[in-house]
Amino acid sequence: MDEIAHTMRQDLQGAGKYLAFGLGKEEFAVPVGRIREIIPWQEITPVPQAASYVLGVINLRGKVVPVMDLRLRLGMAFHEKSDRACIVVMQPDPKQSRSPIGVVVDGVSEVLQIQPAEMEETATLGGGWMHLGYVNQIAKSKGKVILLLEIDSVLAGPMEDADAVGTMELAGAGVE
Amino acid sequence: MQREAQLLRLLDAVIGDVFSGAGSPDGEGRRALRQQAIQAAESAREMSMTGTEEAARQLAALLEPEAVGEDWQPQLEAQVEQLQALAEQEIEMRMTAGAPPPPAGPGMPWADFVFESREHLSQIEQELLRLENSPDDSEAVHALFRSFHTIKGLAAIAGTETAREVAHHTENLLDEVRSGKRAVSSSLIDLALASADFLGEVVAAADQIDQGEAVEIPEDAGALLDSLHAAMQGPGEAASPSMPARSARTGGQPAARANSGGGGRSAVKVDTAKLDQLVDLVGELVIAQSLVQLDPALLALNDPKTAKNLNQLGRITTELQKTAMSLRVVPVGQTFRRMARVFRDLVKESNKQATLELAGEDAELDRTIVEQLADPLMHMVRNAVDHGLEKPADREKAGKPAEGKIRLAASHQSGHVVIEVSDDGRGLDQDRILRKAMERGLVKEQAQLSPSEILDLIFEPGFSTSEQVTAISGRGVGMDVVKREIEKLRGRVEVRSEPGKGTTFLLRVPLTLAIIDALVVKHRANRFILPLFTVREILKPRGQSIHTVEGRHEVALLRDRVVPVLRMETFLGENETGTARKTEDSVLVVVESGSKRVALAVDEVVGKQEVVIKSLGEWMGRVRGVAGGAILGDGSVGIILDLDGVTGREGYGVAA
Repeated sequence: MDEIAHTMRQDLQGAGKYLAFGLGKEEFAVPVGRIREIIPWQEITPVPQAASYVLGVINLRGKVVPVMDLRLRLGMAFHEKSDRACIVVMQPDPKQSRSPIGVVVDGVSEVLQIQPAEMEETATLGGGWMHLGYVNQIAKSKGKVILLLEIDSVLAGPMEDADAVGTMELAGAGVE
Repeated sequence: MQREAQLLRLLDAVIGDVFSGAGSPDGEGRRALRQQAIQAAESAREMSMTGTEEAARQLAALLEPEAVGEDWQPQLEAQVEQLQALAEQEIEMRMTAGAPPPPAGPGMPWADFVFESREHLSQIEQELLRLENSPDDSEAVHALFRSFHTIKGLAAIAGTETAREVAHHTENLLDEVRSGKRAVSSSLIDLALASADFLGEVVAAADQIDQGEAVEIPEDAGALLDSLHAAMQGPGEAASPSMPARSARTGGQPAARANSGGGGRSAVKVDTAKLDQLVDLVGELVIAQSLVQLDPALLALNDPKTAKNLNQLGRITTELQKTAMSLRVVPVGQTFRRMARVFRDLVKESNKQATLELAGEDAELDRTIVEQLADPLMHMVRNAVDHGLEKPADREKAGKPAEGKIRLAASHQSGHVVIEVSDDGRGLDQDRILRKAMERGLVKEQAQLSPSEILDLIFEPGFSTSEQVTAISGRGVGMDVVKREIEKLRGRVEVRSEPGKGTTFLLRVPLTLAIIDALVVKHRANRFILPLFTVREILKPRGQSIHTVEGRHEVALLRDRVVPVLRMETFLGENETGTARKTEDSVLVVVESGSKRVALAVDEVVGKQEVVIKSLGEWMGRVRGVAGGAILGDGSVGIILDLDGVTGREGYGVAA
């Protein structure tokens, strides 16, 4: 009995389950527990003077939800959205007490089961994303390499990432 | 614990009803009352409270349709009082004999205690103030007695012994007043207020515990209990002969009485997040409904039945929206009554004589607004007592009654609530205000100001008319803070004053922070929202009315007034080259915020609309020039512009 409940709880939290999506040539994944829903690409109302990676806001069943472009967030080049592009509505904190945030990706691919054994620390790999704390682990699944996105760092708001921007500049150009 | 509380609550309702005359043989309440009595008897039986059960059954018997004697009212009253006393006693016995009350802590049913006690406490303050004004008001004494009595029961159930004791002794004192053994004196009222304050602290702590915070229930009421004991032992202060027997007045104001007994009314505590979600969803429903109603395919059907059903859907949706919005609304009276309490203390401290007149307490406002009005109002009442009213001797010299009058009134005015705080004191001294403003460098020495401009100087930061700092008004907080607080609520403050006759402040605040009348404008592909109350005029400029200053700043000449022009693209920080229209082809929306005016050049004015304001979420943080978002009629989001951001820009805006 207890065991079943435990498994169910794990299922609900989506332990080990990841949603994989494409971004440029890379494949990323985030834990399904942090995903509220996936909605098709739609018109986004731009917010003047917001951070550059903030595309604007949408109406999600009566709530105004901010939407960011993950490409821009990760410092990739802007790309016109294709038909496959969609908005992944994510939860900025595991407790679900804060309002959700839409994250635009090039297209979602599948839900994967990734075991801890298949994950690898990326500290040895180096590179911009790792510096910024956006990706700390990679996973090998079905012969593909999948970057595990650190949701907390990526979803840190324009409010909170003044520090992160500083780091990015440091990491990027070596400017003081 | 729940069952005891329920029974006490039920009895409380029954008593309220009986004293309001609901037991009248020709009244409709009699049957319901009998049902309640039977219910009380049943629940007493379940708890093996035999005395209570018996008394409740007797009450039910008195309420039989055929059992109407001449003196039914005193009989009923005697019976319910006996019933309550018995229930009280037996519950207390159960508490001591049975399991001790569970230790205080999360999971305790504090919520009930907090909710119910709060209502009674607010009632107590109100009734005490009433009693002070008219010590013969036996109705107030009875209401007070019952409220303390109920709190005593609630405290016993919740297991806070000190609170129970305080309520118990206060109740005893009031009981003596009730039976004519003791007169109402100001020391008695002070004592009762002190008890209410202590109980208020207990309730506040219980509320925090209920919210999961680790605080202690205050148990230290030694001094208060000593005073209560001393008062009980002290002389009865010669009972006032004029305290009429209670049954002499039935009828009276049955409505008010029923209210105070808590009978018939019930309420639930709801998480405000859920309310907000409900309002969000209803908003969506309205949009979906209008999309369906205007759907060309459905209209093409031209079917009367469909049309009728759609109309019905529309009506229900509108009604639902109204109801949903009204959930966030509370009467302003609650805050007014808090002021009454502050007022009383202030008058005592300042050695002045004054009465407070309240009006329009029923005016309803958004809960947040009511809460945020409390501090500014308190400050203004303070000012009125402290600076506005003269000393009694000075008033008499001026040929006015020694007792000053302060009025606090609320009224609805076209989508707003206007709150008036006025006094009949000395009025504002224009010369002094002007002198002070000049000393502080707020105006130039040679400035020519109209009387109302002079009065408005009191709202300037750093201005305070009191030459001495007093304990009451204190230092540092001035009318500028009041103005700022009110403007935060999208309201305005106005002052009028006549020397020797008094001063009136008018606070104009919106009914709700959630909805605004908006002007929707279009800029390039996007629609933006301007709060309508900031829009002064909309015009299509003619070529000659636009001028360029220093080769770059555009200004519009509007009826001999120069107003700076701000193009949307400049405001939005977009690049200005390329598609930008000439200002002459735009529409100018003249907006005012604070005391600045600016003409915003937009592509097109879409129209006027009521919108629900939504936050863009804490994630976005504060974006300059953006006040929030709103869902437009077609379901898309429009950005609400923050006009302070517009007019506050360097180099823009002229004094209005």
